[in-house]
Amino acid sequence: MKDPNQPDKDALIFNIQRFCLHDGPGIRTTLFFKGCPLHCAWCQNPESIDPKPEMAFIAERCRGCFQCADACEADAIIRSEEKRIDHSRCTACGRCAEVCPSGGLTLVGRRWTVDTLVAEVLKDRDFFVDSGGGITLSGGEPMLQGRFLEVFLPAVKEHGIHVNLETCGCYQWEQIEPLLPFLDLIYFDLKHMDPTTHRHHTGVDNGRILDNFARLTRGAGTLVPRMPIVPGINDTEANVADTARFLLHHGHDTIHGLPYHGLGADKLRWINSPLRPLNLTSMDAEACRPVGRMFAKRGINAVIYD
Amino acid sequence: MPSSMTEGRIARLKRAVQSARPTVCAERALIWTSYHRRVANRFKSPHIRMAEALAQVLDQKTIAIHPDELIVGNYTSKRVGGSIYPELHGVPVMLDLFRFSRRKTNPLDISARDRYRLLGIIPYWSLRFMPLKAYASPWQKVRFVTNQLRAHFYLINESGGIAHLAPDYEKLITVGTGGIVAEAGAHLSQTLADDQTRQFYEAVIVIAKALARFGDRYAALAREMAGQCEDQTRKRELEAISQICGTCLRRGAGSFRGALQAVFLAQIAINLESLDNAICPGRMDQYLWSFYQKDVEQGKLTREVARELIAAFCIKMSEIIPVFSKHLIDFHGGMFNGQVVTVGGMDREGKDATNELSYLFLEVMDALRMRQPNFHARMHEGSPDAYQRAINTVLAGGANSPALYNDEVIVETMRRQGYTVEDARDYTAVGCVEPVCQGKSFASTDAALFNTPLVLELALNRGRRFGSPVRTGTATEPVSRMRSMADVTRAFEVQLKTMLGRMITDLRAVEISNRHHHPTPLTSMLLDGCLASGWCSTAGGAAYNFSGIQCVGPVDTGDALYAIERAVFTDRRYSLAQLVDLLKRDIYDPSAEAYLRGIEKFGNDCEAADRWTRYVVDAFVDCLSAFSANTRGGPYTAGLYSVTAHEFFGRVTGALPHGRRKGQAFASGIAPLNGMDRCGPTALLNSVNRMDFTRTANGINLNLKFDPHTLRGTTGVTALGSLVKTYFRRGGMQVQVNVLDPAILKQARDNPDLYPHLLVRVSGYSAYFNDLSPDMKDEIIRRSTQQPTLG
Ligand code: SF4
Ligand code: SF4
Repeated sequence: MKDPNQPDKDALIFNIQRFCLHDGPGIRTTLFFKGCPLHCAWCQNPESIDPKPEMAFIAERCRGCFQCADACEADAIIRSEEKRIDHSRCTACGRCAEVCPSGGLTLVGRRWTVDTLVAEVLKDRDFFVDSGGGITLSGGEPMLQGRFLEVFLPAVKEHGIHVNLETCGCYQWEQIEPLLPFLDLIYFDLKHMDPTTHRHHTGVDNGRILDNFARLTRGAGTLVPRMPIVPGINDTEANVADTARFLLHHGHDTIHGLPYHGLGADKLRWINSPLRPLNLTSMDAEACRPVGRMFAKRGINAVIYD
Repeated sequence: MPSSMTEGRIARLKRAVQSARPTVCAERALIWTSYHRRVANRFKSPHIRMAEALAQVLDQKTIAIHPDELIVGNYTSKRVGGSIYPELHGVPVMLDLFRFSRRKTNPLDISARDRYRLLGIIPYWSLRFMPLKAYASPWQKVRFVTNQLRAHFYLINESGGIAHLAPDYEKLITVGTGGIVAEAGAHLSQTLADDQTRQFYEAVIVIAKALARFGDRYAALAREMAGQCEDQTRKRELEAISQICGTCLRRGAGSFRGALQAVFLAQIAINLESLDNAICPGRMDQYLWSFYQKDVEQGKLTREVARELIAAFCIKMSEIIPVFSKHLIDFHGGMFNGQVVTVGGMDREGKDATNELSYLFLEVMDALRMRQPNFHARMHEGSPDAYQRAINTVLAGGANSPALYNDEVIVETMRRQGYTVEDARDYTAVGCVEPVCQGKSFASTDAALFNTPLVLELALNRGRRFGSPVRTGTATEPVSRMRSMADVTRAFEVQLKTMLGRMITDLRAVEISNRHHHPTPLTSMLLDGCLASGWCSTAGGAAYNFSGIQCVGPVDTGDALYAIERAVFTDRRYSLAQLVDLLKRDIYDPSAEAYLRGIEKFGNDCEAADRWTRYVVDAFVDCLSAFSANTRGGPYTAGLYSVTAHEFFGRVTGALPHGRRKGQAFASGIAPLNGMDRCGPTALLNSVNRMDFTRTANGINLNLKFDPHTLRGTTGVTALGSLVKTYFRRGGMQVQVNVLDPAILKQARDNPDLYPHLLVRVSGYSAYFNDLSPDMKDEIIRRSTQQPTLG
């Protein structure tokens, strides 16, 4: 068993994406931490939710050679057209992915030590410097691996790298408090103002989230509120009004809006997710204009991503 | 976009040129032939023959002034056309006479009459064209021509003529042909004995006068047309054209418009002299600047009018196309004559030289987006922010042009090749990417293309091609006895030396043949050094001489070597003999292929892999620089760009250890293999920055490709700027930014094999395009065709 007082030596990360332009200022490397306390119905990275490594099967790539079956020691390979992994047996050891000649199987989630991760993010330091960029902790919810961050962030900051945290805000205050000196920027997601609706779509109450929002606004450097704009769910007049009121109350006059798109649903087929496709129409900046106007009417500038 | 570009004269001119069907024009070939057939001409010196033949072309070719034109001149008798050069590469080209209009890539129209007349001259030239003249012995002739046609190890482009220069147009528009005639005359009066030199000067005088007469023909035509013109506005325009054409060449340009007109007529003439490839106006914003300033000061010119004239000039440059055979298109695809216009950069003193004209050219380029000219933009630490911003905006908007050049690295590179620092600062790239000094270099930058990965094939098979009993290269150690990477690289270097040596022997023969049989007096009179020395440029008269050899496939060779290191010496998955056996059988085993393809590749910021590409380039440069000077007295320099040769060479090369199967195309230039850069542009640039480009003096080509979404909005423009700046500051030489057309996404949807690893991103979300479901693919396509809004 892990000692809860010891910082985690490694992190579980499912993707590291360089040259990100929309996760904060400049050119950034975004680290996607695996595991999330929420499971939003519209999640664009459904493979981020489970806090353990998992196997993904991308049927489009499979050539049906079944070398994976030979490699698997847990007898977890299924021979069907659209499914390959029996998740009740699979231990996510990754052996099948190693032999798969077509990239049809991928292990989602790999362990990174502080040193290897620091080395990885430093690779693009020249570009950070010129563009005013840095790294963005995303996920999933990076704060689930706060123990790791307690070691990782000071090490990164030693190299003068700008750090942005993208967070859903659902954790105890004590977890994030020690990290605040190392965070230059926080992108804080507000999904819905109504506690019941929030629970309905994300699985958790928004009480603690809103509380943390208030505290971070007071205690952290810069906090930018963000909102995924999901048609019919949180783009209603009522919710926008509530959100605007909440923001104004805490001294904010801007919110970043992320138009919902259905691309995440595509990945649901690849993994063993409890989520079901939402099948909503995708939004773009144009479609989000009414929301922008509703916010503007109430004194909030909504910056809609493209 | 300025309205005058979308409607009115410029739009009409553009439409007329773009809607014209590219057509083969027989005139140059026929006039050239009739001159050479005349018995009286056969005994004249080659200098005089070339000058008089070209003079006859300029005197007799069909000319026309089209509606709306302000800048006049015709490369050929067609609105958009190309000429045939029977004495150079024209004979093999004419073997395609019946295929031009039917072939799939770059089809060309040709009239039945022209086809018939061209057929008639093939017998005359079939034993007289350049490649046959390179060697005296019949056996060597056959060997050389066959080698050129097979072109497995190398292709010598110089046997089709040299060209590839940025003429001294500043001199032409300052002193005019009159000044040049006087200069040559003065030299001539002091030259007594040497026949060669006398003939050269005489030839220069002949062709300089002919060039002036060429202008007179347009003056006369315009005068005649004005006489018949009912429309008073057009009548006045034609009178102005007549006045300008009659004077701009002979006495110096006199005005901004005159300078553009003079340069264009000279462009035509030089293109007709030898090879119609990479005749480059070069730094137009520099040598036109004083004319522009003066005219504006005197109230004779406005910025608007100047832009219209520049646009008219640029449209005219799209009226030429190269007439290549199917074989040559394999190497030089894309209907591309490589006429470069360069803007920005530093002046001879090292100060920033960006001016209003630099911006005007950029505006015109963005508005026109036509095939020619190729626009290049120079950058240095002191380039104004506004200039960089203008360029980044145009690029992020999907213009795919200009190509960007880094002054700091290029000037240093050229200095190391023997340029004075002032001359180096006055560079322009010609053709694709090759830096030369404007008006001073005769660099034959496209002398030959070399298939580097094929040399590795020889090294892995004791000097034989896979599956061949015949030894092509040198007998090196068998793989069973190779114990380390050092053994492998030793064999590679031996084979490299053998094959490069053979190529250089052939190339020298061609150089001498060009000097003896196809001197170029017109080119020479516009290159500093030739008149002073009395030597033609083909004989080494220019101030700077080089021959550029393209190392094609360095990345494939590097990745192949790294794959050997990993598979054989680190992972020990195969013995070297087993691996080679696998290659000989075209990597028949899919799991072996997957393993080999899975080994890291160049372009992903993996040092261990990248250093092998660096090794290959270093070995190539070392080997090349060990050969003594070319016959014009300049060194052989290496270039890392391949136009479309990487596809042809790939087709004739066997399987390679990095999982590339037989016949697959190589990576282009210094770019990673298609789709093998999976970590994005920053990782790619980190890899590329591991190279030392001051060694590749003939230029490099790096293509940075973006999906249509990434660079949108101000965020995208700024990020692009940072990428380029960082890359240049760390030693990058050149980069071309391509935003993929949404049409490519549609192709990728319909044909997944074409773009196996096309990455698409939608604010934070990213995936390989092929992995998406049909609906999602359509969604991405829809998003990519939208106009940017915020962000
Ligand atoms: S190894 Fe890969 S390609 Fe073969 S059956 Fe398994 S998933 Fe499909
Ligand atoms: S990850 Fe391991 S246990 Fe799971 S299917 Fe693959 S080989 Fe079997």
